[in-house]
Amino acid sequence: MKVLFFIFMLVSLLFANDATIQVIKKVDSLPSIAVEDASINYDDTFRTRFFKSLIADLNVISIFNVDRHHRVTHYNAANVLVENKDMDYVLRYSMSENDDGELKITIKLINSNEEVFSKTYKVSKKNIYMFISHAISYDVNEYMGESSVEWMKRKVIFSRIVSPHESEIVIADYTLSYQHVIIKGGFNVFPKWANRSQDAFYYTALDASSPTLKHVDISTSKVTNVISSDGMMVCSDVSDDGKTLLLTMAKEGQPDIYTYSTLTQTYKRETFYAGIDVNAQFMNRDTIVFVSSRLGYPNIFSKKLNTNEIEQRVYYGRSNSACSAYGEYIVYKARETSNAFSDNTFNLHLISTKTDFIRRLTAVGINEFPRFSKDGDAIIFIKNYKSQSSIGIIRLNHNKNYLFPLKYGKLQSMDW
Amino acid sequence: MKSIVLSSVVMALLVFSGCSSKEPVVDIKAQETQSEGVQEVEAVEAVETETVSVEDSMVESQTNTKSMSEIENKLSAIYFAFDKFNIDASMKEQITVAAAISKGDASSYTLKLEGNCDEWGSDEYNFALGLKRADAVKKSLVAEGVDSSRISMVSYGESNPVCSDKTQECWSKNRRVNFKLLP
Repeated sequence: MKVLFFIFMLVSLLFANDATIQVIKKVDSLPSIAVEDASINYDDTFRTRFFKSLIADLNVISIFNVDRHHRVTHYNAANVLVENKDMDYVLRYSMSENDDGELKITIKLINSNEEVFSKTYKVSKKNIYMFISHAISYDVNEYMGESSVEWMKRKVIFSRIVSPHESEIVIADYTLSYQHVIIKGGFNVFPKWANRSQDAFYYTALDASSPTLKHVDISTSKVTNVISSDGMMVCSDVSDDGKTLLLTMAKEGQPDIYTYSTLTQTYKRETFYAGIDVNAQFMNRDTIVFVSSRLGYPNIFSKKLNTNEIEQRVYYGRSNSACSAYGEYIVYKARETSNAFSDNTFNLHLISTKTDFIRRLTAVGINEFPRFSKDGDAIIFIKNYKSQSSIGIIRLNHNKNYLFPLKYGKLQSMDW
Repeated sequence: MKSIVLSSVVMALLVFSGCSSKEPVVDIKAQETQSEGVQEVEAVEAVETETVSVEDSMVESQTNTKSMSEIENKLSAIYFAFDKFNIDASMKEQITVAAAISKGDASSYTLKLEGNCDEWGSDEYNFALGLKRADAVKKSLVAEGVDSSRISMVSYGESNPVCSDKTQECWSKNRRVNFKLLP
């Protein structure tokens, strides 16, 4: 009997975390949380801005029903505000400015009138307050023992088309409320972080005599030419150790996938099909997924590196032109309509290579450029809908999507 | 450190006074970490700006520029069907004209073929589609006797539209290969 029970538990655990299975309704069971503002300095505009940022972040961690009322109290008040007395949790914070203009924020998390967690944060200028907001939500999530939202603290790098033949490369937080244009002028696309610590990145310069991959070291501002190819050059993915790049190059006018070693600065052709092979992404150290037109339409395939073993991975959709992989999971972009004369819809779908389930992740508009977070917890993507370009975040295990619109320009590509 | 920043700014001013605005500018902000007692604090950006110039500068003589643009204007774009990169029969005549110009007036220049797509997708596949269009034009030109070593290609995907309306006519104008001459 004990053995049977053990097997039952094992099977339950195996299937409990399948991201292709959709969680339909979980909201009622979430604990409630309210936020109390006990700030000392700063005007109402800034206080409201920070409050809204914190509420948005607490919503994105998807573990609370978040109360949206902005209420003011004293930091050391013994009890929570009367309006919040039925809340499961109260997060109280105090913002203050020191003589150097630094923004300091102290928080405490209260549960049943007991302080259960507290922390202090500081940044050099108040206009980068959003990083504190993300850090608070990250820490609260950690305290609650939920799966990590490490991606919340990571930076997003994206290229934005500002006019034909001109783009900007921008570093932002995941909500796009902080934006820093790092490369301006010229036609530069496909930025990609060069390592996990995000202190360097690659991008493609299209203004050079032939498309050229460049490497930028952010700390030294050194720009290095890596490799050029006539026609096309994209750094599609970087291995976890940063030593191997997956490139799409077009030697002889033929777009194919190449691996490139940053140590030996040599490349090796990995695909040999006469049509289109692009968008390679590491599934693991030895296997890549990529988009190929070898069936007469774009679809998702995988290849074991150092072998000729190629396998079709997706059997649904007639035009699947972008993908990303994390372990056994593949997210891909599928064209839902094929119309040359009116708007088309492109949706993201999630599959597991171990089951037959397909989960559709988006509903309307053009949803493209999916990228898994480094921990596989979330997918970031570009949404273009009704002339508005946004970055979207999908929390797979919480069945929630969030959109963060871009104020101007059109998103071309991004990485996080 | 200040002197490095200052000198790089001065260098940048010197460099940029002679360059077009197309030169990319790399603006770097360092990250710094602070700590407050036992509590961990967040990474933040500091205020440092440096400018880096880029090597590829185009220098053309005035007389060449004029005649080049005149010849370029005679090379009309080749258009493609939705999601296709084969050259339609209706475009064959324009290819023949382009090949004749390439071997005639433009014989002293190199030819750059720029592949473009409509707005349906910013992914690599769309860039590859633009490239295959440029490659199809290149192969046709070579078949008509143009030396392949004189032809280079680039794909701009959907990022270089000539028209941004949401109409069928507009999308079809963007699915094209342009000819550019280089000295």
